[in-house]
Amino acid sequence: MYGKGLRPLSIATVAAIVASLSLVFFYAPLDADQGFIQKIFYLHVPLAIVALVGFVVGGVFAILHLRSGDSRWDAYSYVSIHMSVIFGVAVLVTGSIWAKASWGHWWVWDEPTLVSFLIVFLMYATYYPFRYAIEDRERQARYASVFAITAGAFVPLNFMAVRMAESLVHPRTFGTANGGLPGEMMLTFLVSLVAIGLLWTTLVKFELTAKSASGQLKRLRRALDAPSPGGSSRVAPEVS
Amino acid sequence: MLALLAATPALPLDEAGKYVAGAYVVFLALIVVYVAIMAAKLQRIERELNELANFAEQGRPGTPGREAEDVPVDVETQPAAVSDRNLTPSEAAAGRPDRVQGSADA
Repeated sequence: MYGKGLRPLSIATVAAIVASLSLVFFYAPLDADQGFIQKIFYLHVPLAIVALVGFVVGGVFAILHLRSGDSRWDAYSYVSIHMSVIFGVAVLVTGSIWAKASWGHWWVWDEPTLVSFLIVFLMYATYYPFRYAIEDRERQARYASVFAITAGAFVPLNFMAVRMAESLVHPRTFGTANGGLPGEMMLTFLVSLVAIGLLWTTLVKFELTAKSASGQLKRLRRALDAPSPGGSSRVAPEVS
Repeated sequence: MLALLAATPALPLDEAGKYVAGAYVVFLALIVVYVAIMAAKLQRIERELNELANFAEQGRPGTPGREAEDVPVDVETQPAAVSDRNLTPSEAAAGRPDRVQGSADA
């Protein structure tokens, strides 16, 4: 059920990524200020946007879970947050590389954009121990949903607070009075954003399909009263 | 393809190029690691599914057609099916056998 449409989605993702990389390296002009280093922008910023949106999406799924009690929404929420945490790691690493190249430091502690993203990332990193500390599956799903909603609401608030704060070194690309990016750069950025968004969606769907297969296998094992293999006492949500 | 590459501008892979390459390689490595983990997970699922199929087959030996599944059968060395060959006089006297020797026990 979850695997339906995975193949065309995967093909579209690969095509979008190839198009995005082609535009980044062969179409978008070099930045007058930063030069070639600015190419990291087309990877770092879409990753950050998709990761943050993914956290919010996880919160929306959690609301649906609490409203309906359907464990599928809990699985959606879990996988969305899981994928966004992985993307968050990529954001922090690519951001650090960019910072080192253009500011000379891997990390700047007094920059609100960097520190606020780190806070969001670390907050979601606690989602796993918080979830796995609860053994009862129903309680685990309920508490995890409450966490996802609270944290999901914090993300846009945090984003707005950072936008209003005075930036020291981190640029505010889309908020400048002159309109931000020129046309070619904007087109490249939008294609990159679509590519990274498709990648996130594909990986979420891929993971849900794997979880669904694993869940059905467990149900089959229970129905056949078969002995369970060692090391399969997972606490991640089951998808039927 | 070569003409396209020749027409494209050379990438300035100097000091800045290393950082840009590093950022993209890190992203690619993350994706590859994730896909490798998922592949291992899928392999485990497949293995468990095989175990379960074997368990189901062993648990229900009388299920029609179960014994013959997944067993490589050499068509040329197998005796013909009951319906395809003439019965011996003793078989004719005893009636048709339920199972053909060797077809399911192979």
